[in-house]
Amino acid sequence: MNDSSPKGMGSQKSSDKKELWKSLNDYNSDPDVLKFKHDEFVEGVTEDFDPSKLSGISRRKFLALLSASAALTATACTNYRDKGEIIPYNKRPEEIFPGVANYYASTCNGCGQACGILIKTREGRPIKVDGNPDHPINKGKICAKGQASILDLYDPERLKAPRFNRNDISWKSVDENIITALNEAQRDRKEIAIVTDRITSPTTKKILDDFVSKYPNTKIYSHSLVNDEQRRQACLESYGTTEYPSIKFEEANVILALDADFLGNEGNYIENMRKFTAKREVVGKTDFNRLYVAEGRMSATGMMADYRVSISPSMQYEFVMALINELTKSGSTISLDSNVKSKIEKYSNSFFNKIDKEKISHLVDDLNTNRGKAIVYAGDTLPKEVHIAVNLLNEILGNTVLYDYTSLSKSLINQSTKEEISILIDSMKNGKVGTVIHFDSNPVYILPGDYGYTSALKNVNAVVTLTEAENETSTVSNYTLPINHAFESWGDANTCSKVYSLQQPVISPIFNTRQKETVLLTWISGDANSYKEDLYHQYLMNNFNATVFVKKNTFADAKTFWYSALHDGVVLLNEPSQQNKFNLTAFNSIKELADGNGFTLHLTESYYVGDGKFSNNGWLQETPHPVTKITWDNYAAISPKLAKQLNVEMNDLVSIGVGKTNLELPVLVQPGMDNKTINIELGYGRTVIGDIGKEVGFNSVLLMSKEFSLSPYIYKNATIKKFDGTHKLVSTQEHHSLDDTFVKDFHRTRKIIQEGTVEKYKKEPNFLHEEKEKLVGITREHQYTGLKWAMAIDLNKCTSCSACITSCNVENNVPVVGKDQVERGREMQWMRIDRYYSGTPDEPIVSNQPMLCQHCDNAPCENVCPVNATNHSPDGLNQMAYNRCVGTRYCSNNCPYKVRRFNFFNFRDHFADAYYENDLTSLVHNPEVTVRSRGVMEKCTFCVQRIMEARSNAARDGKTLKGSDVVTACQQACPTNAITFGDANDPNSDVAKLREHNLSYHVLEELYIKPNVTYIAKLRNTHSEEI
Amino acid sequence: MSTIDYTRELSVLEGKHALRELDDLIAKPLETKPDKKFYIALAITLSMTGLFVLGLALTFYYGIGMWGNNIPVAWAFDIVNFVFWVGIGHAGTLISAILFLFRQKWRTGIARFAEGMTVFAVMTAGLFPLIHVGRPWLAGYLFPYPNQHSVWVNFTSPLLWDVFAVSTYLTVSLIFWYVGLIPDLATLRERTNHKIKKVVYSIFSLGWRFSNRHWHHYEMVYLILAGFATPLVLSVHTIVSFDFAVSVIPGWHTTIFPPYFVAGAVFSGFAMVQNVLIMIRKIFNYEHIITVDTLEKMNKIMLLTGSMVGYAYAMEFFIAWYSGVEAERFAFLNRAMGPYAWAYWIMVTCNVVSPQLFWFKKIRRTIPVMFVIAIFVNIGMWLERFVIIVTSLSRDFLPSSWAYYKPTLVDGMILIGSFGFFFTWILLFTKALPVVSMAEVKAVVDGAQPSHKEH
Repeated sequence: MNDSSPKGMGSQKSSDKKELWKSLNDYNSDPDVLKFKHDEFVEGVTEDFDPSKLSGISRRKFLALLSASAALTATACTNYRDKGEIIPYNKRPEEIFPGVANYYASTCNGCGQACGILIKTREGRPIKVDGNPDHPINKGKICAKGQASILDLYDPERLKAPRFNRNDISWKSVDENIITALNEAQRDRKEIAIVTDRITSPTTKKILDDFVSKYPNTKIYSHSLVNDEQRRQACLESYGTTEYPSIKFEEANVILALDADFLGNEGNYIENMRKFTAKREVVGKTDFNRLYVAEGRMSATGMMADYRVSISPSMQYEFVMALINELTKSGSTISLDSNVKSKIEKYSNSFFNKIDKEKISHLVDDLNTNRGKAIVYAGDTLPKEVHIAVNLLNEILGNTVLYDYTSLSKSLINQSTKEEISILIDSMKNGKVGTVIHFDSNPVYILPGDYGYTSALKNVNAVVTLTEAENETSTVSNYTLPINHAFESWGDANTCSKVYSLQQPVISPIFNTRQKETVLLTWISGDANSYKEDLYHQYLMNNFNATVFVKKNTFADAKTFWYSALHDGVVLLNEPSQQNKFNLTAFNSIKELADGNGFTLHLTESYYVGDGKFSNNGWLQETPHPVTKITWDNYAAISPKLAKQLNVEMNDLVSIGVGKTNLELPVLVQPGMDNKTINIELGYGRTVIGDIGKEVGFNSVLLMSKEFSLSPYIYKNATIKKFDGTHKLVSTQEHHSLDDTFVKDFHRTRKIIQEGTVEKYKKEPNFLHEEKEKLVGITREHQYTGLKWAMAIDLNKCTSCSACITSCNVENNVPVVGKDQVERGREMQWMRIDRYYSGTPDEPIVSNQPMLCQHCDNAPCENVCPVNATNHSPDGLNQMAYNRCVGTRYCSNNCPYKVRRFNFFNFRDHFADAYYENDLTSLVHNPEVTVRSRGVMEKCTFCVQRIMEARSNAARDGKTLKGSDVVTACQQACPTNAITFGDANDPNSDVAKLREHNLSYHVLEELYIKPNVTYIAKLRNTHSEEI
Repeated sequence: MSTIDYTRELSVLEGKHALRELDDLIAKPLETKPDKKFYIALAITLSMTGLFVLGLALTFYYGIGMWGNNIPVAWAFDIVNFVFWVGIGHAGTLISAILFLFRQKWRTGIARFAEGMTVFAVMTAGLFPLIHVGRPWLAGYLFPYPNQHSVWVNFTSPLLWDVFAVSTYLTVSLIFWYVGLIPDLATLRERTNHKIKKVVYSIFSLGWRFSNRHWHHYEMVYLILAGFATPLVLSVHTIVSFDFAVSVIPGWHTTIFPPYFVAGAVFSGFAMVQNVLIMIRKIFNYEHIITVDTLEKMNKIMLLTGSMVGYAYAMEFFIAWYSGVEAERFAFLNRAMGPYAWAYWIMVTCNVVSPQLFWFKKIRRTIPVMFVIAIFVNIGMWLERFVIIVTSLSRDFLPSSWAYYKPTLVDGMILIGSFGFFFTWILLFTKALPVVSMAEVKAVVDGAQPSHKEH
């Protein structure tokens, strides 16, 4: 578009004519033409082509813009299903088949019980944890915390590199600096303190011992927020050893639990649940145990009680003494001296009138008639004195035959006493401590404030914290050293005398973290260059050979034995054990405990976030409390009477005072609570924590004191008063007042919960079906001739532990939705455990019922879906085709069980609390299960992916698929085997038998929707035929 | 003693009008420029529609979570609004088709407007099934079309029946409305000198020349369409009620729903027509065409349908008790005494008590009072759907999954916005088309029809 076009050609300007001309212009000798002739090329044409100088939109520019906008449009139109690059294996690792899972045996680090686990990995990525079936304690089962602990591995807020005074630093300089510091401390005769949590690993203990021999000024302190120290001390005084035996609950006819949540979260509850429910079997048996619970709060164990009395934990001592006094009247297995007699005579049975005369008389009768077949079990939080008294009571009744001395609870390093910790803190204050190493522990959070630990730390030169994520202690440390997650670590454990279990890494460290033991080994070597990744691995193997292999006396060589042990995850030890004699002087010398005047504060461990360790785990924060169904919070649980007295309701703030400290937190009115007891869970209110745990709950550790009168968890003379304001507690179940006659006992009148007593069942085994009407359908129904999937849930065995819920969450990629969405009623868990109260607010009877999609034959959800997104499979599954679902939500409305879950948002991104919006967390997803987008309905599938896997395996092997080939995630997790799954059409299958059981029923049978989840009615082992 | 001839047809219009005068009066809003008031009104309704668009944009971007819906209350304002607007859409066809078949001449003044309202209300209603889905971009799945998935829609789902019922109703209402408009469009064509208007009216009047033959065909078509539309009036809300009646949820699973829903729909439709007409007749000086007599007759229909609705409420309670089904009994007790009792009692007051005032002739004929009562009826009928949907869902079979539903800001935006959307159309309608049928009104002027008595 050049302007030099000869437009002036037509004008005649020159008179200089020519003879020969080609055109008029030529003839006229136009100067322009002459110029043209002179310059062959127009000016500028020969210059470099520069599009930027082009005026307006050139052809090139137009094309450039066109292609750019096309490209832009194309990018904007990316497929939302596009999950980015997928890179196949260039060379397949030997042990990995794409699409086939590998399982590795290991040990759980969630709590101190060290259960055996199997970690499922897909393409090198751990995606699921289940119990190791070869492990003699947990036998293939694992609790909710263990199930969900996998999310911690993929926590994007884990520490990624070592830090020195909040700045990143290399491991090498860390090692150099600390070795120098340790040597200096050693030289200056200053103490080196290692503060650790509970140690379950004998090899770790050995390393700590090595550390002490290398740096002799070292002292090891062990402290955990929730421990069994009171029980151990009592055991030490009564029997001369801190190693207490486990209880053969499976042989007990009568169990009295005193504030003991042995089915909830105390001791090895997975094992206890299994043993306890062994005597709750209704198939072919009616040999039930009877559970008495005397407790101040309402615990998971209390919900299972046949008889439950509420009694303040500060009165337990008097209660046990009165029982001893009463029961010794009918003799004693061990001889009692006069001191004992004079001690117990003070406690007459008139004390029982304060509690419940009728229930206690049943208890006394049962304990008397079942001597040697009963057990009295005190909770970990109760004072040592109560434990000693209980030990005596069991001796008197001859119940010690139920002590399992082959399975002792080991304590590798005893918990430090309060004196030891106080001395440490004094030394710190006086500058006598050179280095403090927090060995995967968080004392700033867990130590009671009156120790003054945090301020004392300021006088220590080098404070080193080894931790997975920043915590309260790491922020006041100089060195924060990131350590491997358990799934990235080697290890071993020996918490039970008969079991030695191994832990192996299943993924290489995701971040620049190190195994905590390797860090210590490097420091022990005194040379920063000595670090090798497999330092601890080698050490562990050597120690294994030296301690376990030699004992086992096998024919295999050491290496073979190591690999087989690693494969099994567990080695059984035959530790010789002996029964110690009860030391009566222990009883005689205990100090008398009296009840206080005011309220008793009872602090207990959180069921799901533990001692705060799992505060950043969304799955666990969102698992509803087994009793209250509250998520994302702790609270002060008080009795309805006390609430009325204080004129408070749920969510109102109260101020709880112990000594000089006060804590304001919301109230939850808990039926069945003792009127003088306040129960608060520990483990909440973490201040330095990731986004998930931030501002969740209230830190009740603040109420703890080193100067406790009863136990660290029980405080007499606490105060409670109303405080201004409210704090919204959110639960997955609406809270109705128990005495609201309008909605009372609906679960019974609607036959959602059907129950009976053992007495009634023995007399009339068919009592449940006597009044049953025959239902008829008016349509032609589908006949299921082949395999038909069905589930049966035995309500006698369900303890509401929620292992099934978390297992389902992990297996089926169930998202975490956050507190605000739970408040709006949008939790996504496919399974829930419904809790119903009947009876009175003072003495409630609790019924639990796991509720999930019932896969009805005449499913009401299916015929209302306009697009056929939910439909029935020939093998009886109610299916969801996510791709087809447009999200009308009609199916959910028409579901009488309300088990369908809707993705109100895309809970994985563009959502205010987008918790999954990082590259790491999505790695936890099970690749066999679709991650649902927003606007899609979802629900329990009976683990269809497992059915499909079993089917293709059967097809591969040329076999017919059997019902027993499939285990659902909830069934696999259930510690009591309450869930049975299989083929309803196979008359020999367990599930078919349970469907025909006398106690079987379906919820909402009368709707004739023919659900395929059969419930086995709960029997209560009371003395009457009525509930 | 003079005898009154009760068989005498009362005049529909007040006073004697020259036919030309009527044409002028009715065509006036179309031939004059909109005044300031119109623009203010339009600004208000457009702002409300803006809220609608914003609410929908938020919903489409973030998801249904922007609403208060939860599990168990998976339907709330979305379907309440849908049923409400479908209900509003009932008066038009009832007035134009059923009353036409029954030769109710008084309908002539209000039929056109009511039909227009029907179309706009059904348009508004029709949006809700599409926007209430979780993935609106896939709402096409609701229509049966051959597709590469080889998946057909589920013909057992009442929601699918809704799609058919509502779309059929909209189509038939639109055609009926348009056919009725043809002679008027021709009249307008004759009246205007404006070039564009002339062309538009010419096209849409389909060459109408007021010939006897045209009138003959017209009357036939109109009669056939009226006959065709009549069952639709009954079927649409019957099918909408199936959404609930076919389910298993106590409070929904009720055989009384079809007639009860139809009565309720006519009730609310008449209330809305009455509300808007009172304003229209005032603004456009149509007092002689839309007479107090006509309004009184509408009020009588409201009294009738309101009583039917009241009867249905009582019968629901009786049957719930009589059935002996515990869940059913509770569902109804819960309506009256549960956490949503406030909604229930406002509904009863508005729907059952307030129309009973129409027993008094004085009230039936007093415009401000009837206006207020009709507003109450609309509030009550909206709450009726709220009570049915939300209360029943919030407390169904398993007490463990009960939950209280609370609407969000976005829910409110969409509710207000739907009114804005509806009234925007109404406003545009009043300025674009004759809101009263010229041809029909001229036909009921005294002396327009041959009479046998006086000759």
